[in-house]
Amino acid sequence: MDTTKTRSTGKEVWRRLTWTWSPAGSREAGDSVVRNFILHWFPAKVSLPSLSYGYSFWLGTVSAVLFLILSLTGMILMFLYVPSVERAYQSVKDIEFVVSFGWFLRGLHRIAAHLMVAVVFLHMVRVFLTAAYRNGAGANQARPLNWIIGVTLLLATFLLSFTGYLLPWDQLAFWAITVGTNIASAAPLVGEKIRFLLLGGNTIDQNALLRFYVLHCFFLPVLVLFLFCWHMWRVRKDGGLACVDHLALSQKKEPAAPVKAKTYSLLGLARGRTVHVETALVDEDRYTVDSSPNLTRRLLVATLATMLVCSLLTIAVPTPLEEAANPKVTPNPAKAPWYFLWLQELVTITTVQLGDFTINGALIGGILVPGILVALACAWPFLDRSSPAAVGVWLARERRRQNLVFLIIVAAVVILTIVGTFMRGPYWKFFWPWQAWPDVPVHF
Amino acid sequence: MKGKNLDTAWVSALSIATLLVAGYLYFHYFTPEWKGHQAEFRNMVEQRFGPARAAQVPSGIQQVWIPQLNRTDRCVTCHLGVEWKGLERAPEPYRSHPKGILEKHPVARYGCTTCHGGQGYAVTAEAAHATEIQHWESPVLGKQMARMYSVSNRLALLETHCNACHRYERETKGLEYINHARQLVRDKGCRACHAINGRGGVIGPNLTRIGEQSAEQYEYSRLSGRQSVFAWHLAHFKNPKQMAAESVMPNFNFGSKDSQALTLLVMSWKPNDYPPEYLPGLKFGDFPTQEEIEKEQRMLSGEGAFFVKKGCFICHEVSSLGIESAAKIGPDLALAVTDVQSRFGVTVDDFIKRPTGTMAVVLATQIQLTDAEKAEVIQKLQLAYQRKREQAATAAPSAK
Repeated sequence: MDTTKTRSTGKEVWRRLTWTWSPAGSREAGDSVVRNFILHWFPAKVSLPSLSYGYSFWLGTVSAVLFLILSLTGMILMFLYVPSVERAYQSVKDIEFVVSFGWFLRGLHRIAAHLMVAVVFLHMVRVFLTAAYRNGAGANQARPLNWIIGVTLLLATFLLSFTGYLLPWDQLAFWAITVGTNIASAAPLVGEKIRFLLLGGNTIDQNALLRFYVLHCFFLPVLVLFLFCWHMWRVRKDGGLACVDHLALSQKKEPAAPVKAKTYSLLGLARGRTVHVETALVDEDRYTVDSSPNLTRRLLVATLATMLVCSLLTIAVPTPLEEAANPKVTPNPAKAPWYFLWLQELVTITTVQLGDFTINGALIGGILVPGILVALACAWPFLDRSSPAAVGVWLARERRRQNLVFLIIVAAVVILTIVGTFMRGPYWKFFWPWQAWPDVPVHF
Repeated sequence: MKGKNLDTAWVSALSIATLLVAGYLYFHYFTPEWKGHQAEFRNMVEQRFGPARAAQVPSGIQQVWIPQLNRTDRCVTCHLGVEWKGLERAPEPYRSHPKGILEKHPVARYGCTTCHGGQGYAVTAEAAHATEIQHWESPVLGKQMARMYSVSNRLALLETHCNACHRYERETKGLEYINHARQLVRDKGCRACHAINGRGGVIGPNLTRIGEQSAEQYEYSRLSGRQSVFAWHLAHFKNPKQMAAESVMPNFNFGSKDSQALTLLVMSWKPNDYPPEYLPGLKFGDFPTQEEIEKEQRMLSGEGAFFVKKGCFICHEVSSLGIESAAKIGPDLALAVTDVQSRFGVTVDDFIKRPTGTMAVVLATQIQLTDAEKAEVIQKLQLAYQRKREQAATAAPSAK
C-alpha cells in the first residue's frame, strides 16, 4: 500500500516538474481549449485517427510550423537586410560573417523555405490520396472550398519562395529570377505585361528588387496568414480531418449492445438495434481523447521535431552565396529555383524545331501545362464521383484509377525536378550522377 | 492513452536535442577562429613589449571601411600587427607590413584587399583568403598563387592590383612585371592592332576593359590544367594560335616572364569606380591649349620669368618684358617705378619692403617673398622700367 502511495507521489512530483499544468479531468481539458486563444483552434476532444502520425503525417502542422519559423527569422532578417542593388549583397555578406548568429538565421530561413515548399506539396499529395477534399458524413461541409484554399496556399508558398530567391542579389538569385520571369512572360497576351509589372521595368534592377522585397515581406505573408486562418477554420467547420468522417461511417457497421435510452417510440420496439445505436458516436471515449494535453503534446512534438530538423540541416548544409549579381555574365547553366525546374525541364523538352517552325516550349511547358494542372486540381473535387466511403481512406480501392493518374503526375514532376536539379550541367546538357561536370573556370 | 508516455518521451528527447543544438550554436558563437588569433597576438605582444602594450591590442571584429573604394576589410581582425613596429619577423598573421609601401598606401585609405585581393567581408582564413573556395573571384594573390603559376617573384601577382590605380602611368616605381609589360606593349607595337585607352588599331579586340571579361567568356577546350583567365592569357601570349586557331595575332615568342607580365597587365585593365584622387597619372581638369602652353613657356624663359614663377602675372602685366596677364586686375608693372611713387608717395624699394593696401595682404599671404627675393623684385621692376623707356625711345622716332 505504502509503495503504491510513494510511487503515485513520485509520479505527481514528476508530472509537476515536467508540466506546469495538465488538466485533472475531461471538463478541465475542454475548458482549457475554450478559454485559450490559440487552443480554440482545436475541438475539446479529438479522434484517435486524427491524432495518429500515420494518417496525416502531420504535414499541415509542419507547414504551419515552418511558416512560423520563417516569420520569426524573416522578421529579424528584415532588421539586417538592405533591399538596394548597391547594398543588398553586402548586407547578406555581413549577416553571414559578422552578425551574431546571422549565418544561422539566414540558413534557417532558407532551409525552412525550401522545406515549406516540399512539405506543402506533400500535404497536398496526402489530401488527394485520402480524398480529403471531399465532403463526407458531416453537415454543412465545404471541403472542396478548403481544397481550393489549399491549392492557393501552395501557389502562394511558391511565390513567397520565388520572391525571396532574388533578395540576396547574387548570381544564383539574379539568374534564377531571370529564367523564372522569362517563363512567365511566355503567357499569351498578358505575359509581357505580367513580367513588366512584376519587375517594375524590362530588366531586373532596383525596381524589381524592391517589388520582390515588399511582396516577400508583407503582401504574400499576409495573404498566407489569412488563407491559413481560413484553412484552419474550415477544417473545424468541416468536422475535422476527413478520417473522422470515415470513422463515423464505419461505426454504423459495428454491432453494438443496445443503449439504455428512454425511447418508447415505435422504432424502439423494432427488432434489433434502436435508432440511437445507429447514431455515429465518434465522441465516445474509446475513439476520442481530450485535446488538452493529447493534441497539444503531439503538436509540441511536431513543432520541436520540425525546428530540430531545420536547425540540424542548417548546420549541416552550407547556405550558398555566389558572386554578386552581374547582368553581363550568365552562369552556365542558369537555373530557375529548384521547385520550378520541372517547368524549365518541360520548357526544354517541348521546345522543338520542325524545319523553320519552332514549337514554343515556354508557352507549353511554362504556361499551359502548369495552368492546366492547377485548373484541374481546383476542379477535381467536383469531378470526383467516388462514394463518401472513400473519404478519409488512404488509396481507397474505388479511387484506384484517379490515384494512379495523380501519382503518375506527381512522379513526373518529381523526376523532372530531380533531372533539372542534379542532371543538367552546362548548356543544359544531361549528366548522369556519376559523370563529373566540367570545372567552373576562375580568374586566378 | 497508449501514445501518451511515448509522446512525453518524444517531447523530452526533442527538447534535449534542441537544447544541445542551441549549446552548439553558442559554443560556435563564443569560439570563433579570430578570437584564438587575438589571444595569441596579445600574448606575443605581452612577451615582447610588456603588459601595457598588450592592453592596447583591440578585441572583437576589426574592420577598415572605405566607402570611396567600396571596401569593408576585416583582415585586420587577425592580421593585428600590420601597422605595429617591431613585429617584422613575427609569424603570420601577426607580422608588420613592410614599411615603405605602407607609408604611401596607408591601411586607413586603401584597406587590404584593394592591393592583396581576398574577401574582405570574411572573418575566417579560408573564406577571407578565398584561394580554395567557390564564388569569390578575387583570391589573395600571395605565395600560394605565385607557386601555382610558377611565378618566381612571389609578390609579382599583386602588381595586377597595383595597376588598377597606376594604369595611367608610363612607369611605376616598384612594379617590375607591369613596367616590363608596358615596355613590351610599346616595343612590340600592340597598338598597331589593339586599341588601349582610346588609342590603337581595330584589327584585334579593344583591350581597354579586357580585364573585366568574366572567366566564363573564355574558351578553355584547348587549355590543359587549371581553367582560369590567368592560365588562358599565359597560354595565349606564348602561342596565340594554340588558344584561338583563327587568331591573326603573330607569335612573339614571349618567354615565361614576358607572358606572366603581359597577363598581369591585361588582367589589370578593367574599369573601376575608384575616385580620381586614387588614380595617379590620370589628369582631370581644364587643361591649357597648346598655344597657351607655348606662351607660358615663352614667358617663363624670358627676362620676366620671375613675375610668372611668383604668380604676379595673374593680376599684373609687365608689358616691357613681354609678360601678359589674363586678368589685368592690377596696373602694368613696367611703370611701377613711377606709378608707386605717384600712388603711394613712396619708392618702389620702400613699398616692397613695407607694402600697404591690397598688396599688403597679397604679399603677406599668397606671395611671400624672402629678403633676397625682395631685392630681386626691386631690381626686376627697375629693369622693366628701363626697358619701357628704351622701347618708348625707339618707338618715338619711328612715330615721327
